[in-house]
Amino acid sequence: MLGWGGQTALNIASALAKDGTLDELGVELIGCNLAAIDEAEDRDLFKKVCEEIDLPVCKALACDSIEEVIAAAEELGSFPLLVRPAFTLGGLGGGTAFNMGELVEIASQGILHSAIGQVLIEESILGWQEHEYEVMRDGSDNAIIVCTMENIDPMGVHTGESIVVAPQQTLSDSDHQGLRDAALKLIRRLNIKGGCNVQFAVEQSTGDYRVIEVNPRVSRSSALASKATGYPIARMAALIAVGYTLDELPNPITGEGTTAAFEPTLDYCVVKIPRWPFDKFRTADRKIGTSMKSTGEVMAIGRSFEEACLKAWASLEYGKPHPRPLTMSDASDGETMDERASEKLPTALLEDWLRIPTDRRMGALIEAFRRGYSIEDVRDLTGGITRWFLRRFEKIAAIETEIRAAGEIGMRPAGIPGSEMRSWKGAGFTDLHIADALCGFPESGFKNLPTGQDETALRMRRHELRVHPRYRMVDSCAAEFAAVTPYYYSTYEGGSAESGVDYVPGLSSSVKQKIAVVGSGPIRIGQGIEFDYGCVHAAGAIQDLGHEAIIINNNPETVSTDFDTSDRLYFDPLTLESVSEILLREDANGILLQFGGQTAINLALPLANEMPHLSTMGLELMMEGTSPESIDEASDRERFEEFALRCGLRMPDGATATTPEGVRHAANEIGYPVLVRPSYVLGGRGMEILANYKQLESYMRDAYLSSDRPLLIDKYLGNAMELDVDAVCDGEEVLIGAIMEHLEEAGIHSGDSTCFIPPQNVPDEILEQVEEWTRVIGLELRVRGCYNIQFAIHDGLLYVLEVNPRGSRTFPFVAKSTGIPLARIAARVALGERLRDLDIPDPQTDAVCVKAPVFPFIKLRGLDPAPGPEMKSTGEVMGSHVRASAAYLKARLATEIPVPTQGGVYITVKDEDKYSMIPLAEKLKGMGFTIYATRGTSIVLRSEGELEVETCYRIAEGRSPDALDLMRQGKIQLVINTPRSTGGAVLDGNMMRRLAVELNIPFVTTMAGARMEVEAIKEALDGIPEPRLLEIKSLN
Amino acid sequence: MSESSSHGGFCPGDGIRGVEHPPTFPDAADPLLNSLGSEQPSGSKGVLLLADGTRFEGTLFGTEEIAEGELVFTTGMCGYQESLTDPSFAGQVLTFTYPLLGNYGVHPGISESSSVHPRGVVCKQHMTFPDHRDSVGSVHDLLVAHNIPGIEGIDTRALTRRVREHGTLLCVFGPAERADEMETILREMTPPDADDLVADVTCDEPRLLNPGATDEKGESLPRLAAIDCGVKHNILRELCRRFEVVWCPASMTLEEMNRDWSPDALFASNGPGDPAHPGAATDARKTLAAAVRQGMPVMGICLGHQLMGLAAGLRTYKLRYGHRGSNQPVMDLETRRVHITSQNHGFAVEDPIQGMLAPHPSGACSEVTDNVLGAEFKVRHVNSNDGTVEGLDLLDKPAFTIQFHPEACPGPHDASPLFDRFQNMVAEHLNRAGTEIVTKEGGA
Repeated sequence: MLGWGGQTALNIASALAKDGTLDELGVELIGCNLAAIDEAEDRDLFKKVCEEIDLPVCKALACDSIEEVIAAAEELGSFPLLVRPAFTLGGLGGGTAFNMGELVEIASQGILHSAIGQVLIEESILGWQEHEYEVMRDGSDNAIIVCTMENIDPMGVHTGESIVVAPQQTLSDSDHQGLRDAALKLIRRLNIKGGCNVQFAVEQSTGDYRVIEVNPRVSRSSALASKATGYPIARMAALIAVGYTLDELPNPITGEGTTAAFEPTLDYCVVKIPRWPFDKFRTADRKIGTSMKSTGEVMAIGRSFEEACLKAWASLEYGKPHPRPLTMSDASDGETMDERASEKLPTALLEDWLRIPTDRRMGALIEAFRRGYSIEDVRDLTGGITRWFLRRFEKIAAIETEIRAAGEIGMRPAGIPGSEMRSWKGAGFTDLHIADALCGFPESGFKNLPTGQDETALRMRRHELRVHPRYRMVDSCAAEFAAVTPYYYSTYEGGSAESGVDYVPGLSSSVKQKIAVVGSGPIRIGQGIEFDYGCVHAAGAIQDLGHEAIIINNNPETVSTDFDTSDRLYFDPLTLESVSEILLREDANGILLQFGGQTAINLALPLANEMPHLSTMGLELMMEGTSPESIDEASDRERFEEFALRCGLRMPDGATATTPEGVRHAANEIGYPVLVRPSYVLGGRGMEILANYKQLESYMRDAYLSSDRPLLIDKYLGNAMELDVDAVCDGEEVLIGAIMEHLEEAGIHSGDSTCFIPPQNVPDEILEQVEEWTRVIGLELRVRGCYNIQFAIHDGLLYVLEVNPRGSRTFPFVAKSTGIPLARIAARVALGERLRDLDIPDPQTDAVCVKAPVFPFIKLRGLDPAPGPEMKSTGEVMGSHVRASAAYLKARLATEIPVPTQGGVYITVKDEDKYSMIPLAEKLKGMGFTIYATRGTSIVLRSEGELEVETCYRIAEGRSPDALDLMRQGKIQLVINTPRSTGGAVLDGNMMRRLAVELNIPFVTTMAGARMEVEAIKEALDGIPEPRLLEIKSLN
Repeated sequence: MSESSSHGGFCPGDGIRGVEHPPTFPDAADPLLNSLGSEQPSGSKGVLLLADGTRFEGTLFGTEEIAEGELVFTTGMCGYQESLTDPSFAGQVLTFTYPLLGNYGVHPGISESSSVHPRGVVCKQHMTFPDHRDSVGSVHDLLVAHNIPGIEGIDTRALTRRVREHGTLLCVFGPAERADEMETILREMTPPDADDLVADVTCDEPRLLNPGATDEKGESLPRLAAIDCGVKHNILRELCRRFEVVWCPASMTLEEMNRDWSPDALFASNGPGDPAHPGAATDARKTLAAAVRQGMPVMGICLGHQLMGLAAGLRTYKLRYGHRGSNQPVMDLETRRVHITSQNHGFAVEDPIQGMLAPHPSGACSEVTDNVLGAEFKVRHVNSNDGTVEGLDLLDKPAFTIQFHPEACPGPHDASPLFDRFQNMVAEHLNRAGTEIVTKEGGA
């Protein structure tokens, strides 16, 4: 079955089929036929297919070389032209070219990234509407449309990068039926059995349309469509693949008696907004287009577009939970520039933000209407966003103005009349949004509203008025049938309804304990899918104990938001407001915050503060696991230092400062280099290693300091080895899941490091100390459940770097390496079980497991691909083998960056590494590689290592051949570059890394990495290591 | 995609081969064509009262008057103009479960009749600024032009669940200040089913829609008499592509049709109300039964199907809350294929074995009668959700009927091949009849 693993699976399976492997082994491809894949993926074939069945496609020409690209541009006539590489994931290497120069540049990248070296040069349909149809078909030719979706961003922005609405809003029935017929015709012609996604472009002013593409498999859009409708597309597609027909399958939503052969109908609006990493990657190009830059997405459901849109906004976790008037502080690429919050965003900048699609465009739309722009003005500036959507944003701005006006004439939260409260809540405004608007969006920010006018005051008033959300079931049938899906969203319906709690099947009769799990929200740098893994296990653990599990999350890409993962699923923002309302509605007995990453853990203190009020409304809630008090002790730097001192744990010298003078003073006291970061962050946001005073000053220009947002300054331990530990504590005992050794030295973010289980180079006595300290920290911090500790070993001494009182991103890696279901154990302990009462299986010890990071550098231009203290990876892979080198090789291969077995290696290392480089260079030479090096390095290699080395110029010398030339000429298959932090080498390093990323050449930046890379090459020359069966044991 | 029609009116004979001057009829959107801009609703408060005592508050749009009728809901996410102008909704107050109504406005030339048929419209949010190249006004404008009240801001989800749980029920809505008056109306209201709704919506006189229509070879198309029990325009369009169509009033008898028009085949349309009503629906049933007995090819849609069921000796009964929407799955028992169909009906034909499935709590159903068709039948289509009968095939007679709407509008086109099936059935019948005549003549 190859239709379920995205483009990766499709590419691998089709390669296996084409080279005859599958036939040879007698393996049948099911669920998708290869002809369909070729016809859908090969642009030329696809065009022929569409023409054959009279469906309109863009005029386009497939090209295998730059010469053909130029000829194609001449034939098509006018720019802009679209470049689409064939066979790539997420439109990698594609783009829009406005002139011949851009075309050649983009097309050369595209040819490189296409698995078949082909790009398509296409007439531009920029500005057309984009619509998507999710189609299912079975072996008996029953075919249905599961969901229609409309992109707010017009054509030119990848659908993964667009704000998407379901169902489509602006097509008439005859428009829609025309596209529906076309979609069905296509799936039948391609003979796809299972799910597929068809994209159309529609020119709104004429009704003209083009078929854009077909994804002959389950895709990102199918996940969204499944969550938007409740119809589990991937599961039904799998059942079809093994031979069922839709009419044989019971309807998964309405249950027995109805069948899966039906088309969902919605009585709500769904809005998806992509989550981009630009809040972390400040230097990356924010422009969005035909290739994917977002790392994740949020989805929200409402009974109006406005409500769904504002709920989605509140789910994004960008720092601003609702739209606010734009100022210069929003224009800062830095962490924040709150001091410029009094400067209104200049008109020219606002119009740029409307014109060029970026993550800022949605805020700019609302700002434009705030400033009185007309619908037509905004439509022109945005290159054709459909007026209907612009009206909705205009409406949001109008309601905001109404609230603001009420505030200006003296309305305070305590005096809001019931009808206004219902109407504003009905439009999707959060309590905080209303409070902020009533105060006139003060420059000092939404966090510092005056007492009596803040979010709490607003909430008290709303509760006094008995205005609560209603919870509606996502039932795929608009309430036509009684559904069995325990999948809900909140909505504030207008009108006169009393604070009603909606009917929940079986809720009132339930005598079980109800425990809520807060999910981790959108996938972003630092908070990936690993946290969803924990949430799913937490739900399972709750059910293991005979309780009811309730999941709250807003990410459509996750397993936690499958309606059968929990007893009840709430698809809602992860804010204090919406979580509190769900707890009230459920009359929940407990809440688990350890598994949803920083999103969930950040709710601990606010929720604890809210509890006195909630308990007056009858809520008796236990915060399960580690107490908010202990969480604070672990997370607050000064409190944790006291704790470490008390327990006799060594920490690097460090200090906390809230003023620039304080930071300077602390850095001088501690001594450079220092590691600087804001407190309470995940994924090392804003974390940097500063070598001297000059770098500190530069860092401070962008940093924002205040009493509630201090900076942490730590001694940077150079050349230290870093260890990660995941553990569980029940108050009496500690279970250490695993100790992980990082390949890279401390200072490189742990999320970006390659790490080994078990540790390979740590002396036993240090390991014993690690275990001891882990126990001390768990017991003394009174942890109940999971925690993660980062240690460093420097000059033979162990240091504690930080403690995270929650599940970490390495939990799944630990579980898969050791076979111990650590997340499940942690959740059960958090719920009150004792470790000694659990039948914990023995860990497997016969193999080494390696986790390697996967980076998004290829998609994000402007981002330096060198690892550092800020996390940059978006995912990870794992390899496992009895030999560490083979395990590493497997992980390296899985990153999809090739492991070279012949060719050239370019070596340029800093002076202290030059001698240790000699044995590695010798090994490489021995394996048949040609060694290239810069002058300094080659002198050492030649004279001390007696090695034959080709010398080339440093890039800064401006002479040929330099490293870039050699890389472009295809002479370099591996770069080993341990960067210096000063001089011309910095620039050299940057340019080489960037080019290596673009050419997909492996690039090693540490000596440890170089050693492992050489080992991996040796393994690769011996042949691909055999597979190993992994087993994760279950708890009874 | 859609052929955008910038002009109004309904002309089913237009564009048919061989037709020179086809007659044009009014379309419900026509009044909007020459209106000078649209006015926005006043935003007056309204109340909606249900027969079970439930009360909803909302805001009025359309005509600010009192509306009364049987409360039903449709689950289609678009196609509201087609639904609003579907004569089968006569007597009813129509709730749209999709919360946003009127996104793409009202378009000329796509209505299903010349007026708006529901007595009132209920929705969550009415869109005052529609956005579509073909739009000539908002739903509010359309309702005002046809003097129909609407109410928005209603929790239509709660309303739908009430209808689902209690069955269709009577309701009234209008200006909040007239709530007392409405309560009286609600107490005294009689079910609209008791009225002769078919007589209200049928055409006045027979008209030939596409005189002289031919096929691609230039040969005359067979002539069809289409009984209008409240026929949707798109049914007539579909028929005109395949037949020379005479649009006939519901009470016209087969003798009159034969005498004046000599049709080769008969069609019975959709329509509102109780199929067993003694008025025009019964007249149409007699015509249909006589045609079947005569051996004439017959097709029926929706009400036409129910009339066939009655004539076959099956009972018809009121459904709990009916099937209204664009996503009703129907299984063809012969091919085992499922079609996603457009539906709009509150009554059904009982299953010959399982009887009345998904009945209304009132238990309303027709008397037991004899099969007057002179032919046996079989159930060909069933609804895959609730098992109700969706289609009948007559055995040894060229006739079939279906409960759903192959003409779509609104809704999917999955079932449109059924018109071809009828066309082939008629052609085959005529061929056989021709052969028989030739044989007889040869024999003489």
